[in-house]
Amino acid sequence: MEITRREFLKMSAAGAALMAIGCPVAAWAAKGEGEPDRWVKGVCRYCGTGCGVMVGVKGGKVVTVKGDPKNHNAGFLCLKGALMTSVIYAKERITQPLIRKNGKLTPASWDEALNLVASKFKEAIAQHGPKSVAYYGSGQALTEETYLASKIFKAGLKCNNVDGNPRLCMASAVGGYVTTFGKDEPMGSYDDIDNASCFFIIGSNTSECHPILFRRIAARKEANPATKIIVVDPRVTNTTRIADIHISFIPGTDLALLNSMAYVIIKEEMDNPRFHGAYCAFMDKEGKPQTFEDYKKFLEDYAPEKAEKITGIPAKTIKEVAKIFAQSSATMSMWCMGINQRIQGVWANNLIHNLHLLTGQIGRPGATTFSLTGQPNACGGVRDAGGLSHMLPAGRLIANKEHRNQMEKLWGLPEDSLNPEPGLPTIALFEALKEGKIKAMLILCTNPAQSLPDVNRYREAMARKDKFICLIEVFQDAETVQFADVVLAPAFWCERDGVYGCSERRYALIEKAIEPPGQCRPSVNILVDLAKRMGVDPKLVPYNNAADIWDEWRAVAKPTVYNFWGITRERLRKESGLKWPCPSEDHPGTNIRYVRGEDPLVPPDHPTKYFFYGRPDGKAVIWFRPYVGCAEGPDSEYSFVLTTGRVLDQWHTSTMTGKVPEIQRSYPKAFVEINDKDAKKLGIQTGDHVQLETRRDKMVFEARVGEVCRPGLVFVPWFDPKLLINKLTINAVDPISKQPEFKICAVKVSKAAKA
Amino acid sequence: MIQFDWFSRLRNRWGKWVIIAPAAVVVLAVIFIVCFNLAFPRTRCEAVKHLEAPEIAGDCYGCHVKATPKAAQDWYESKHGVQLVKCFVCHGQPDGKGEVVFALNPDVGICRKCHDSSVTNMVNNYGLEPNCVSCHPFHQNSIHHRAYVKPVAKKTID
Ligand code: SF4
Repeated sequence: MEITRREFLKMSAAGAALMAIGCPVAAWAAKGEGEPDRWVKGVCRYCGTGCGVMVGVKGGKVVTVKGDPKNHNAGFLCLKGALMTSVIYAKERITQPLIRKNGKLTPASWDEALNLVASKFKEAIAQHGPKSVAYYGSGQALTEETYLASKIFKAGLKCNNVDGNPRLCMASAVGGYVTTFGKDEPMGSYDDIDNASCFFIIGSNTSECHPILFRRIAARKEANPATKIIVVDPRVTNTTRIADIHISFIPGTDLALLNSMAYVIIKEEMDNPRFHGAYCAFMDKEGKPQTFEDYKKFLEDYAPEKAEKITGIPAKTIKEVAKIFAQSSATMSMWCMGINQRIQGVWANNLIHNLHLLTGQIGRPGATTFSLTGQPNACGGVRDAGGLSHMLPAGRLIANKEHRNQMEKLWGLPEDSLNPEPGLPTIALFEALKEGKIKAMLILCTNPAQSLPDVNRYREAMARKDKFICLIEVFQDAETVQFADVVLAPAFWCERDGVYGCSERRYALIEKAIEPPGQCRPSVNILVDLAKRMGVDPKLVPYNNAADIWDEWRAVAKPTVYNFWGITRERLRKESGLKWPCPSEDHPGTNIRYVRGEDPLVPPDHPTKYFFYGRPDGKAVIWFRPYVGCAEGPDSEYSFVLTTGRVLDQWHTSTMTGKVPEIQRSYPKAFVEINDKDAKKLGIQTGDHVQLETRRDKMVFEARVGEVCRPGLVFVPWFDPKLLINKLTINAVDPISKQPEFKICAVKVSKAAKA
Repeated sequence: MIQFDWFSRLRNRWGKWVIIAPAAVVVLAVIFIVCFNLAFPRTRCEAVKHLEAPEIAGDCYGCHVKATPKAAQDWYESKHGVQLVKCFVCHGQPDGKGEVVFALNPDVGICRKCHDSSVTNMVNNYGLEPNCVSCHPFHQNSIHHRAYVKPVAKKTID
């Protein structure tokens, strides 16, 4: 073939241009799929930010997704949310029921599988009573699924062993809100971000864990550059890129920092006595009423100079942030697992609320104390719907006779027929499994064989020969599948409809966009079918679909402060999410709770502007919570602190994000992040192999040396199923919330030979 | 041959410079490439190996910060950089096996994943073609500019 000189020149110029930008001659072809023929509204499957998405469908297949401009995310999606299609069509999808026969999972019919599960549960209950079975759910399951499973177990089987992974994630935040304000869930919303002039971000790497909220915070700072952003984190994360002040501290000492800020606020008279005088009660750690003067005395131990010695934060800095916090026109606190996954998680939550109550930085646009949720439906589905072992729907408690009686009436049960004894929270539940007390367990939409702390211990429990585990799981490569005796095939994400509730009390509907593959069924249908086969009264489960359950759930919640009677299915189809309380169909939803004129549950003629109606005296509590350290601090032998967390790209146990080629490439495996000074001492360079050893197990990771971790701290992300960092973490739990301390344990760090 | 007519006309007009100038350009280019290779020996290799080294192909930035420092730095300072909207979200990956088509200029469908309203607005209100990069060139302007340091717009007081 002859090429003219001109063509040759043209080609080499193009080639040179490509070389110069480091890009090979590549596929320039336009997208093959073309425009979708319809867009179906939904919610992102991943994090607790709960972004609205539009699913693009062409010829019955999802071809792309985009952000929903009408939802809170204003059309934006983060990296994960923008890459969803490969997850739906992953080759690892489970498309039919599987039964373990001779150690191998083999395809079975729905009838065979469901009958087997039902008989195992019935047998366990007949022989060992209802305490011998359990349900372990998820903050990723639909609200309808959680409500239904909880009803089947608590009302149908009289078994209160109903817990879920929010115990590993949100339990301390729930404990914090309930002890301080009397009721769970934040009083503010994402709209506060647009009005805040100070952000106090503690124990949250918002940038990587809630990217679209981080975008909104950054946008606030761009619109009003005077906005101050304070980030409190022992790691210099990407979140600090927009921070004015980054405070690093000795891991586990933040309670001292928070108390010290309260000390400075009062000492320098930056508190708001008109607010805390009228709307707050003071209580010591036993819950005995105290006075403001007692509180001042309690705080004496936390003068900044004293706190400096505990936390490693200069006294000057503590004073400075206390001042910014108290004196900004509106301060918004945000926190996540750094605060919750701790043995003093509830206390740490209380101490953040204290600062807001003390300064009156609450109940105004931008002034709020806001907990970030990890999972897409941890806030709505599990907390509200009562999917925990001590709870009944809509904030009712199992231990409370009146609450039980209410539910018995609503569920059409004889009076005093619900089991009055709370069930086992997650860690205790898996301990019971280990001891052989739990004979049969149903696990829905979560992966405990990777996500539990000290996971070897509980993998052993799940591997017991005499237990029976039924798992409803989308992907066959999820770690927990190895331990399941029966695996049921559910419809995934937009293959069925249902409601998710995100961090800001917003309920939004994921609509069905496509048909599920193979024999997959919506989990609500699986649960109803299973319940009937287990002998649960069919009158308790008269549902054909998720919409039927939603209507019952609205009615069950209506008499409580969790009022979302006005959030009908019809409205959810039309609108991109609504925030409860929303008592009637013409109510627009609530941005700020506990404030007259904003919150429909505060009577319009209430004599004062604020009303903390969750508490009997209508007052929020300022708690005396002394500084207590972590469960397992570093010592001479295990001299480093190990902390775990997420990276932006991968989500949770990576069963979903791991199916996206781009993501899997950008984060193929876990690593250990180590401070450069420590690395130098140990002779470690980036890429070297490093052994981490805790009292539970040891493992080798590749090193990433840098300034992200402070000296003495190492970080490992927990997404990688091949490098299960949870084999090293500790199972110590918060005494109130029963949430484990994933964030801190002692570890030995040494250089390992390259394999 | 038209082309050679054109060439001889140039030659008549500019004489030997017609030869010297391009030669100088070639020499300078060679010097540039040699120096560049000397400066970043490893990087240059990696960049060339784009399709052969899948194990590093996921870390676009890690390589491009050395291979195409300007583009990488522009991204890092941009809003996409601060918010970690990484290269592959829009550009895909070199082997083309990912969810996103590998392209230097991403299709407007990619922009629409987050900026649908803006694109629609431009089409409906200004009658523009749905093509973001024609006005927002890649690695410049609003896609990749220094985010969050823009001067505050003056407000009129009235
Ligand atoms: S921020 Fe969270 S909810 Fe929003 S797109 Fe990303 S992963 Fe999904």
